[in-house]
Amino acid sequence: MLTYFIRRFLMIIPTFIGITFLVFTVMRFVPGGPVEMAVLQYQQMQAEGETTGSGSDTEVRGKISEEMVEELKKIYGFDKPFYIAYAIWLKKVCLLDLGVSHTYSRPVWEIIKEKFPVSMRFGLLGFLISYTICIPLGVFKAIRHGTIFDISSSAIVFIGYSIPGWVVGLVLLILFGGGSFWDLFPLGGIVSQNYDQLSFIAKIKDSLWHLILPATAYMLGSFASMTILMKNSLMENLGQDYVRTAFAKGLPERVVIFKHALRNSLIPIATGLGHVFSLILAGSYLIEKVFNIHGFGLLGYSSLIARDYPVTLGVLVIGSLLKLVGNMISDFLYCMLDPRIRLE
Amino acid sequence: MEKLRSGFFSPVFLKRLRKFRSLKRGYYSFILIVCLYIGSFFAEFFVNGNALYIVFEGKRYFTLYNDASLKKVIFSRETELRQKATEILKLKVKAEGQEREKLESEHAAVKKEHDKARELKKAFGKHRNLQKYFDQEKAGNRAVLVFYHYGPNENLLDELGDRNPPTSPDRKNWFGTDDRGRDVFARMVYGFRISMSFALILTAFTYTIGITVGSILGYFGGKIDFFGVRLIEIWSAVPFLYTVMIVSSIIEPNFILLIGILTFLGWMGMSYYIRAEFLREKSKDYVLAAIAVGVSDPVIMLRHIFPNALTPVISFLPFSIVGGISSLVTLDFLGFGLPVPTPSWGELLSQASANIHSWWLMAAPVASLFLTLLLITFIGEAIREAFDPKVFSRLR
Repeated sequence: MLTYFIRRFLMIIPTFIGITFLVFTVMRFVPGGPVEMAVLQYQQMQAEGETTGSGSDTEVRGKISEEMVEELKKIYGFDKPFYIAYAIWLKKVCLLDLGVSHTYSRPVWEIIKEKFPVSMRFGLLGFLISYTICIPLGVFKAIRHGTIFDISSSAIVFIGYSIPGWVVGLVLLILFGGGSFWDLFPLGGIVSQNYDQLSFIAKIKDSLWHLILPATAYMLGSFASMTILMKNSLMENLGQDYVRTAFAKGLPERVVIFKHALRNSLIPIATGLGHVFSLILAGSYLIEKVFNIHGFGLLGYSSLIARDYPVTLGVLVIGSLLKLVGNMISDFLYCMLDPRIRLE
Repeated sequence: MEKLRSGFFSPVFLKRLRKFRSLKRGYYSFILIVCLYIGSFFAEFFVNGNALYIVFEGKRYFTLYNDASLKKVIFSRETELRQKATEILKLKVKAEGQEREKLESEHAAVKKEHDKARELKKAFGKHRNLQKYFDQEKAGNRAVLVFYHYGPNENLLDELGDRNPPTSPDRKNWFGTDDRGRDVFARMVYGFRISMSFALILTAFTYTIGITVGSILGYFGGKIDFFGVRLIEIWSAVPFLYTVMIVSSIIEPNFILLIGILTFLGWMGMSYYIRAEFLREKSKDYVLAAIAVGVSDPVIMLRHIFPNALTPVISFLPFSIVGGISSLVTLDFLGFGLPVPTPSWGELLSQASANIHSWWLMAAPVASLFLTLLLITFIGEAIREAFDPKVFSRLR
């Protein structure tokens, strides 16, 4: 078991190198990469700045941009062969140096660090809500399998299945965010503008007020799959022999379900905890975009829009690491909770 | 039974297909979505800004897809008349007396004709205007419009009067117009065709690669399998959406390129299942018999094992299509999807989030997306039930 996890942990290294190498290579060889983009922007800027200038100085301009290109190549490490550039970049990453953002003019790691608490606030609440709703619902559906309650709640589950969580978020925002319908909740953001002047109680109220819609969207994102997983898992266990034995020896139904079957059926749910790890910490690009939450996900998105490549790569690095660690936690939980599992 | 066995598909597979047909909800969803999708290829006949055909001076022009021939007639006539008018004018300057008067009246006649031709040319810009023009003219010319006469990429700014887009739904524009004054209903219809095609082609590509890789890993095993699985593990750990966003922010993809990117990053899913199926099947007697007879590896893989390994392919198909549609909507919403004038649900959703007072911009794509995905999910559930029957027995 221990060797499995050590090996698993070591697998993170080649996987991480694989991911970053893939993206690095793509960014390097795809036409219209950062250098070409910067040159284009520079030329546009010059063209706009020199609307009065005649065509006589085009030669000079060409020279300048050639020097500029060299300069830019140096900045992005394009003057070296790409594997050397990659090695240099990787070495820096290992020393926790993700470079400096162009748009913020600050170290990337600092910017990313600031975003975690924001994303976490929404992700964590959404996660808590989804677990507190989906698990009891799934259990209830399994116990009452085939009843009207089960069938009617299945309709809701189907809706959840067939529409992505962020789309539901958008619907909620337009319904309750003061568009053409009700004006109950803010249009996104984290806190109100006058947050600093509020009293402590009002501050909490204000935060919660901003939290409700995004957290609901997060919840709905995993609602359907979680509920069905819970239901099927419990149903499967209820068909097992040990449940039959428990009934046979005369235990009341409640004890059989909640003490015997439910414990075993929570295993697949618990292993999902590892996968939500990155969602909790890093949030979702889409929900953060819809609700204008300036967290980790939106940082990644806006860095792409602004073509701030150090931030983009930084978000990629941290995002993939979180995902890899999350997967490992999942496996670990699986082993811890289910002694029948033997990984090697 | 003998007849069944001779086919490519195993009798078990055919039995499952029959079971699927008996599950009404999934089966009718399947028929409905297939009809809708096939119908969407004839969308031009129902939802289009172009007229079905135009009868102009006794001649019939089929203008649904292409009105170039009629355009040439109308435009060249206008040019001709204009040139003629200027020529007469030139002559008139030189001429004197009666000659001059004659030319003057001639010029007036030509000018009148030219004005008419110019008006026609102006009306020709949109077939709806052309129809109105023909109706007023009452000269036997006709433009026959299709059922819903707005196209997906047509700008309706001049027809909205003093209203600013996005305008709310009315009798002319059923689902209103978007922020560039384009008809939302038309964009929904064409968006359906594009979303479905995108998802189907994407699934075809990812499955082809996934199945090929998976079957090779499963069949040959050994070192190939070991390194292949490690490679797939690494590949699957790539943050899918973000990497697609990075790549497409750099190259601004078109339809084919976007499918290429998504295939490149998302082919792994099926290979796992196929690998498992091949691992299981290859030790069975019929495979060993085929090997003993000396059948070549590719033939064993394709003709013998593959038909028995179809279960995951079929049962994941609907969910892959749902995934494909969702990916396209997501990427379009974020602005990293198909190039701009393409009718797209995701692009409308992003407009909706920018114009929260225009509820129809949200309602139309959400409803379309929801209905489409719901139908496919129904199919998926039915297929799953037919192919992977899980009977829960329970003590009561």
